[in-house]
Amino acid sequence: METAREVYIAGVAMTDIGWHEEDPHEMGARVCAEAMRDAGLLPSQVEGLISTPHGYMADTRKMVTQRMADYLGMECGLMLDVDSGGNSTSVAVHVARDRIREGRIGSCLVFAAQREAPPNRIKEDILGHFHLIKAANSLYDSYQAAFGVISPLPFYAMAVQRYMHIHSVSPEDIAYVAVLLREHALKHPQAAYREPLTLEEVMESSYVSPPIRRLECSEMHDGAAAVLLVGEELARGSPRAVRIAGMAEAHDPTSFVPYRGEISRFPCVGRAARAALEESGHALGDVDVAEVYGAFAGMEPMMYEELGFFAPGEAPSAVREGRTTHGGEVLINPSGGRLSLGHPAYVTPLLEFTEVVRQLRGEAGERQRPSARVGLVHTEQGFINGSIVAVLERKGA
Amino acid sequence: MQDKAAEEFFALLARGEFRTTRCRGCGETHYPPRVVCPACLGEDMEWVDLPREGTLVAFTQQRDAMRCRRPEVLGLVELEGIGNVFTRIDAPLEDLRIGTRVAFDTWTSPDGVVLHQFRPRS
Repeated sequence: METAREVYIAGVAMTDIGWHEEDPHEMGARVCAEAMRDAGLLPSQVEGLISTPHGYMADTRKMVTQRMADYLGMECGLMLDVDSGGNSTSVAVHVARDRIREGRIGSCLVFAAQREAPPNRIKEDILGHFHLIKAANSLYDSYQAAFGVISPLPFYAMAVQRYMHIHSVSPEDIAYVAVLLREHALKHPQAAYREPLTLEEVMESSYVSPPIRRLECSEMHDGAAAVLLVGEELARGSPRAVRIAGMAEAHDPTSFVPYRGEISRFPCVGRAARAALEESGHALGDVDVAEVYGAFAGMEPMMYEELGFFAPGEAPSAVREGRTTHGGEVLINPSGGRLSLGHPAYVTPLLEFTEVVRQLRGEAGERQRPSARVGLVHTEQGFINGSIVAVLERKGA
Repeated sequence: MQDKAAEEFFALLARGEFRTTRCRGCGETHYPPRVVCPACLGEDMEWVDLPREGTLVAFTQQRDAMRCRRPEVLGLVELEGIGNVFTRIDAPLEDLRIGTRVAFDTWTSPDGVVLHQFRPRS
């Protein structure tokens, strides 16, 4: 059998994150074009296209990809619309990578464009948006949905409560994570939140679902991003191409809150991380920069621990000691993370890839980790019921 | 509550019964109830009583939700040998502790649906 081909990310692009009025199709077209310009490729050279729905709390269109292929004039050998919650676009990257490794296609563009119905507009006109609220409720099984759940917030709140209880983590330790992520976002010109945030402000913000406070939550946002994957042939001329050295996916047999076992543990994260690292030939200690999918401040340290960066219960003090920020042993979420970069969930994995690629190219501006060589991307779906981890490597590293 | 197992579960609950499915083929008890047994893949089920006492694993309060007129306390109750039940909790948040023993009751929502709730055992 032929050896599998190497796969690289040759182009990345993202819009500013926030609330947009632009049509998601046009937002998507702009990031697709920018990612191709970034890679120096034309639509005629791209052989695959994968995307996602336009949002969770929005009336979304079906078959987003074929419309984009028509719009950009792409003759594809792979076309796929993915809806796997927060993992959607990393599933897409994973599938695209495998198809390129198999030699079936030479390149693939993954993009997502999200435009939600803004929460304040929903609150002003509940009846007009009731179908969206019902759709949000129907994400959960009958035994969760019956209690009126329309977001995973109460499940996350209970996980954070147990984590704090088991490891005697203080509310200030959790609040500090939000403060640090905001500090990171201050250096990101495209982040949704660019005002300084203090520990007092987080601690004084109201509970949305105790122990989670308002300023410890990520918010649903609009935005778009695109990542262009290529095989060796197309990467040859490009010193800025970043290699996907390892990638793995793992799921637990759960849907939102688990009916069995400890709800503050997420075994799929570690399984995906170990498999991706093994394939890459790197140890976790080699990772210079990581983008981690934490939707709430309290989930961040739990994810760092599940990935293996810290022993159970030790991440909160590591964060406070500066070990996850600029100058620390590993720079985690330099983009500002889900809390401060902003969180258009379908787009989020592509924002994470974009940040790590920019870091490994040395193009991350003020928030650059000096001489970053190895990067890690972690994404999840549902209530971290499934995880995907990718290990990226600077060319020639 | 569109699926058949859930329809039966909530219909039983409306009569004050707290039950789930057990596989007649292999004897496995499931929560939530199912029409297919994940242990032996059999489809022959009987309904059996769930324990009416359990241990509070975690709890929180939900503000923005359907079927809520005011913030509701929700929690996860571990039933011995069964697993975790996601449920309404009938007690103020500040009175609750992880590990508290709680007992089953029913609760009728503002829109007339009978659900389960647990409250600390007095």
